Amino acid sequence: MSSPQQRLSSIANQLTSPGAVSAKSKLLAKNPDDVVITLALRTPLTKARKGGLKDTTLDELLISLLTDVRERSKLDPNLVEDVCVGNVLAPGQAYIARSAVLAAGFPVTAAASVANRFCSSGLLAIQNIANQIIAGSIDVGIAVGAESMSTNPDNGAPELSDKITSHPIASQNKQPMGQTSENVASQFGITREMHDQFAAKSYQKAEHAQKAGWFNDEIVPVHTKVKDPKTGEVKNVVVDRDDGIRYGTTAESLGKIRSAFPQWKPSATTGGNASQITDGAAALVLMKRSRAQELGQPILAKFGGATIAGLEPRIMGIGPSIAIPKLLSKVGLTKDDIDIFEINEAFASMGTYCVQKLGLDESKVNPRGGAIAFGHPLGCTGARQVVTALSELRRQNKKVAVTSMCVGTGMGMAGIFISEA
Amino acid sequence: MLHFRTEGYNGCAVKYSPFFDNRLAVAGSANFGLVGNGRMYILELTPNGIVPVKWFTTQDSLYDLAWSEIHENQVLTASGDGSIKLFDCNLNDFPVQNWKEHNREVFSVHWNLVAKDRFCSSSWDGTVRVWTPDRPHSLVTLPTHSCTYSASFSPHSPDILSCVTSDSYVRLFDLRTPASASNHLTLQIPIHAAPVSPIPGKPGVPPAACPPSEALTHDWNKYRPSILATAGVDRTIRTFDIRAPQQGPQTVMVGHDYAIRKISWSPHLSNVLLSGSYDMTCRAWNDQSPPGVVGDVDSMRAGPSPTMGVEMGRMSRHTEFVTGVDWCMFGSEGWCASVGWDESLYVWDVRAVMG
Repeated sequence: MSSPQQRLSSIANQLTSPGAVSAKSKLLAKNPDDVVITLALRTPLTKARKGGLKDTTLDELLISLLTDVRERSKLDPNLVEDVCVGNVLAPGQAYIARSAVLAAGFPVTAAASVANRFCSSGLLAIQNIANQIIAGSIDVGIAVGAESMSTNPDNGAPELSDKITSHPIASQNKQPMGQTSENVASQFGITREMHDQFAAKSYQKAEHAQKAGWFNDEIVPVHTKVKDPKTGEVKNVVVDRDDGIRYGTTAESLGKIRSAFPQWKPSATTGGNASQITDGAAALVLMKRSRAQELGQPILAKFGGATIAGLEPRIMGIGPSIAIPKLLSKVGLTKDDIDIFEINEAFASMGTYCVQKLGLDESKVNPRGGAIAFGHPLGCTGARQVVTALSELRRQNKKVAVTSMCVGTGMGMAGIFISEA
Repeated sequence: MLHFRTEGYNGCAVKYSPFFDNRLAVAGSANFGLVGNGRMYILELTPNGIVPVKWFTTQDSLYDLAWSEIHENQVLTASGDGSIKLFDCNLNDFPVQNWKEHNREVFSVHWNLVAKDRFCSSSWDGTVRVWTPDRPHSLVTLPTHSCTYSASFSPHSPDILSCVTSDSYVRLFDLRTPASASNHLTLQIPIHAAPVSPIPGKPGVPPAACPPSEALTHDWNKYRPSILATAGVDRTIRTFDIRAPQQGPQTVMVGHDYAIRKISWSPHLSNVLLSGSYDMTCRAWNDQSPPGVVGDVDSMRAGPSPTMGVEMGRMSRHTEFVTGVDWCMFGSEGWCASVGWDESLYVWDVRAVMG
């Protein structure tokens, strides 16, 4: 017969084995080897070629933000082993990343790399750093997303070989993003009115958030120079707020804006219901929980995982509607377990579709507005959304946020974060 | 709500007598069944509450019991020392039969409701055995190769029996099949597998995030012969249609906070079942199937599965793990009994706890 110890352990197994604990409590549990976020900051997001950061190059933007990270984290810069910079457009990204890390006051021992998967680059940078920590490659790292669309304009797809342009699916990557938005609108019947309503809500939420001062929790000011386009005079300025949020925007006022892409039906996308072209950067400090506790670092949140999904490039906008269920099924949660969804508003078409398709509670989606209201600096967005989501979870005293974005060339990425602040 | 304290013995199972509407039996074990004696109580519901008529104390823990279907005074017990004992309430102290073939703890015994001269047992030793009361040795041994927490004959057939095991399978045996290498095993349903897509070539629904975990209990529906329910460590009750095992669970009932130790379908209603869990609650569930159905349902006409069952009410009087629940067959529907590690037997009406 079995010994009392064997009987006891068989019952103990019934209480503790995998499956015995709910997926949510597993995700909320605090384990020493969790990857945690100890600092999350972003610069203001300002309009490309018009806003306060229009003359700030990517390296200057990075140096400013990384200097703030170094100072505000109160972390010994010698402990930072790697910095991963999510960036889409800058030529010579790798030179810029490593140089900016050094110029921001980190020692030569701090390495740097770049991550580029279009609009998900910022989240990819977080995942890269987190994975390195999980694998034991590094102990402490910084994930950054940064884009200067003023100084590095998006020129679309390069010349591609015949094998691609004649391939039925690969050739879709020649389509500009605007066209993919119209494809989503036409294929899924998203009307112009739905576009404008979605966009107006983004503006209204962002206006409320800005007036209530919610963004102050996320933003570190940038000291930089601006050149007056008329006089050529260069002024020192402090940029400390998002400048894309047009107050008093309504669906009616957006309805007057003319279509941006009359050449592609249904031509429902306009300058008012698509994301703005913007400059900005965001950064997060990541480390193991045990290390954070050792160093006395404040633990803001736990990284719960991330995933990527692919789909037809011609409707790349609906990526989140595939990536979010994939992520939730991986961690064993339902949409009802999630307190905030921070979904990038590349276009109102995909935003409307994803919210409808996933049946999300609208009050949980982008509670501070999104890229339509204050901009979408491509490489920055993935990291920016996490900064925003964590701040909003803190404000609402909630726990779990999912962030997701559609990715050009037909992908969707999603990540899950658990607030502990 | 009536209460009886099984002092010194932590309850492990409770069953109503199939012959008398006021009689029930409780199996209990000292020290939570880890070490020490077992005791089987014969109790009667009287105007003065629950009164013990008789008890039998055994050397090792008792984990389950079953009333004889042919003799109104006889009760089977499943013991930690691997033995199965048949007690007669008219006699004192000692069993009238003692079968000792299992090599480890016997976790369940169940009497055949159709062929009433048979019963089965299941054990930690990875076997299910079929017995007849008047033979000293088992009739058949059915290997499962995995700790088997629960075995049960179908209430609709004399020859079909099922069991659930710690490897997360439902196994079905049909004793009419010829003796062969398969040992009468006719069906194996993986409890935690994703359903197979009905369209060939298409990938199925992506597997849910539920790794296999131990199944602790199961029960056959009393009205729908092809439906059985399982539950266990993953806190989830699932119903399966044995005619369409590849479809996966028909209904999923989620809500318990810890492992579910015992489930029992209502003898009165085809869509109601009762569960007892380590979370110290008993809960009544509706599997959302149409009420009043007797016989097989056309599963092709059902909507997409699985559906979510609905919790109808819960009883939270127990202060320790609930280990046994049973419905009363007599009188009005709704009366049931529950036992737990808090040394308590409660007899109560499910309708009183429904919201």
